[in-house]
Amino acid sequence: MTDMDIEMLPEVDVVELDNGFRALLVERSSLPVVASVLWYQVGSRDEHTGETGVSHFLEHMMFKGTDKFGKGEIDLQTSKMGGSNNAFTDTDSTAYYFSMASDRWETALEIEASRMRGCLLDPVEFESEKKVVLEELAMGEDEPWRPLYQVCESMMFQTHSYHHPVIGYKEELERLGPDGMRAYYERNYGPNRACLTVVGAIDKKRTRARIKKLFGGIARAEDRKIPIREPKQLGERRATVRTPHSVTRLCMGFPTCRMGERDDYALDLIAHDLGNSKNSRLYRRLVVKDQTVTDVSVLNEVRQDPGGFFILCELHPGADYRKVEKAIWEEVDALTREGVAERDLKRIRTQIRSSFLFQGETALDMAMKLARFEAGTENGFSTLAEVLPTYDSMQRRELRDVATKYLQPDQATVVWGVPAAVAEVAGRKAPAKKRKTKKVAAKARPAKKAAKKAAKKSVTKKKPVAKKRAGKKSNPGRKKS
Amino acid sequence: MSKQTVSLSIGERKLKSGLTLLAVHNPGVQTYACVASIDVRMADEDLRRPGVANMVGECLDEGTSKHDSLGLSSAAENLGAMMDGNHRGGVVMCPATSQKKATALLREMVLEPSFPAREVRRVQSEVISEIQAEADDPRTVAARRFRAEIYGDHPLGRPSQGTVADVAAIKPKHLRDFHKAWFRPGNGYIAASGPFELEDMLDRLEKTWGGFRGASPSHLPLPELALQEAGCNVHLPMSREQVHVFLGHLGVRRNHPDFYRLSVMDHILGTGPGFTSRCSRKLRDEMGLCYSVSAGIAGSAGEEPGTFTAYIGTSAEHREKAVDGFLKEIRTIRETVPSDSELQDVKDYLTGSFVFALERNSNLAAYAIRARRFDLGFDFIERYPDLIESVTAEQIREVAHKHLHPDRLTIISAGAS
Repeated sequence: MTDMDIEMLPEVDVVELDNGFRALLVERSSLPVVASVLWYQVGSRDEHTGETGVSHFLEHMMFKGTDKFGKGEIDLQTSKMGGSNNAFTDTDSTAYYFSMASDRWETALEIEASRMRGCLLDPVEFESEKKVVLEELAMGEDEPWRPLYQVCESMMFQTHSYHHPVIGYKEELERLGPDGMRAYYERNYGPNRACLTVVGAIDKKRTRARIKKLFGGIARAEDRKIPIREPKQLGERRATVRTPHSVTRLCMGFPTCRMGERDDYALDLIAHDLGNSKNSRLYRRLVVKDQTVTDVSVLNEVRQDPGGFFILCELHPGADYRKVEKAIWEEVDALTREGVAERDLKRIRTQIRSSFLFQGETALDMAMKLARFEAGTENGFSTLAEVLPTYDSMQRRELRDVATKYLQPDQATVVWGVPAAVAEVAGRKAPAKKRKTKKVAAKARPAKKAAKKAAKKSVTKKKPVAKKRAGKKSNPGRKKS
Repeated sequence: MSKQTVSLSIGERKLKSGLTLLAVHNPGVQTYACVASIDVRMADEDLRRPGVANMVGECLDEGTSKHDSLGLSSAAENLGAMMDGNHRGGVVMCPATSQKKATALLREMVLEPSFPAREVRRVQSEVISEIQAEADDPRTVAARRFRAEIYGDHPLGRPSQGTVADVAAIKPKHLRDFHKAWFRPGNGYIAASGPFELEDMLDRLEKTWGGFRGASPSHLPLPELALQEAGCNVHLPMSREQVHVFLGHLGVRRNHPDFYRLSVMDHILGTGPGFTSRCSRKLRDEMGLCYSVSAGIAGSAGEEPGTFTAYIGTSAEHREKAVDGFLKEIRTIRETVPSDSELQDVKDYLTGSFVFALERNSNLAAYAIRARRFDLGFDFIERYPDLIESVTAEQIREVAHKHLHPDRLTIISAGAS
């Protein structure tokens, strides 16, 4: 074990305004750069039937002009200042971020203040951008993992609004009009639903004053509504999706807990033990020993409401999917019986510590991490101080208990993506062989980036890049920051 | 707009073996990265064994003289390190406290791989599965055909992984032979970046890598590349929602004297952040044809010529409209000079944004290698703003006219019809 003295919680200045706006400021002057993240407490979970996809579509429209910045001006101003911007939408949040040189970054504040309530939502721009969003949706449907993941998610969450995809349903997007989007915007965008983080070579005093001036007079939005709680799952759910692809894929999900709860930390450790390195149980079993799977990945996808724990596999051509599923359950059984070995626990903790270190390598990484914890956990950004001690405090028995609590067969949603050419055969055979064992799920190691991306279900404003063969990294990265 | 000025503290030590050690001092960080870049090319592989260079890279971390595959992975994970191999060597990123052991582990992976038969077989089947999965992806299918059309028989025209049959034919001996022949110190680089003093880092690198010796073989001569006289227009139908279109031709080398002018031209035409380039504005913002669009020539320039590539993912009914849109923008930039404000906006972006590439140790180490490999000089980062600022509007028109050839385009699409 290396001695990693990690600064998890930098010195943070908190700015609180009367209208509910909060900003977190961190001075860091190794390079003349500043990153800002404006994190809104609005995402696809806030959408009603008939308006699915509006959060993400609105994110696009936030670059299409405000009362102070005309069409194209936000990107142009950012670019002229040598900066970059982007945004993403997920189930719980929508975040807008800038990286700029430190002598000009305050324009980012002006843009964010302007579009908090002053986005134009011009009907002509709306119709034009709708075409872009529909192309983005089409692009996602061609990806091998996204449709599979969406089916899994929609089966796991049948009552809660996590049921529908972040990008929305095509039919609803086509029918959505600018008035509907405006109503959604006015309901959900305001200082009381947002948190700003600024990290870099800043003058804190001046920044504080600018924030007060720019955001202090903005009216509040409605408080966030609490979605209907998902009822407890009463038995296994299963589906087979026929795909145009030639590879058989598995997406297995289990409902879990909220971000920042103690079980969340345990599930992180369990995910590592099951699937996030070559030394994980599922990698050793499925990839190395059985050689039935080329790629396996395990994700603890916690959210603000109880989220999910996912196992994703890509099968070798000709591999027996029943054998794969059986092996997964056997490994989960072993985990719930044995817990995580002390030696492995030590290695996993080291990996997690390291991943937090890399998640603060750039100013934007740090700004994003602070915003995520501020928005996603009960104690806000100060939770960061407790993260590593909490991981360290978890022992074998607790991990065994948590695995047993969540990874149960009657809590599983199992979705197979089967090449259309062989789906008929699989469809006849698949109708479930009921498992006798009571215990649950297994997974394995780092899956393809595409799979992880699909599973994170964030939709970005800009296009994705870079693919790499899965499993080639001992990857300590994780979702928590 | 005031100019961003950044200078880097880089140290260098050339060993008798021909290996060059580079160190970048990055104070105040808690992380460290070390990159090994050996002078190996995909093109060095025996024509009877395509895919062997890629397989060597894939199998470097599958076992060494000291560790088996899982043992090597454990050793890295216990250091909190991420380590990855490739056909030129590899990279390790870790907490700064693990610097010494992580550098040694990288050396072990790069120089002492054992290519165990069982692991090679497993990786082989993974790569084959990957090739098969990629055959489902219309974007990859179109991109590969595009390169094959442009590069022809040149090694860059074939997929680096090889075909399923190529990979299936590879044996551990082929990997060992290739590694033994080509993993030599001459013209290679080991670069590290972290919060340590330069001399200390160089001493550490020399201690770790100093024993890496052996005469380097000569690279096989590569066929000369020439711009095709006439392109082609091919559609590969696949049952998908979108069609992916690649359009372009042979490009330039990184050391081409027009490189910086072309970089600026790219950002006017179709590269860069947001939606400020002409192609993004027209094809995405105004016409609503796509989510993803780009065009550029400088980004792919390397030791061998890259390509001028315009790309769009769109619905089938928009394919021709998209191709026409690209053609229109290519012709416009060849024939008319950009406005002063458009040019200045791009210059401001390029001269202001390069600093963000210096935030990560792995980028800094890669930068030091690139500076040497392309003979840019370590002070390149200080000179870069002036190189960009010196580009004129007329030069943009000139280089566009010289390097973009709308009448010789290869157009490949795959996906929905």
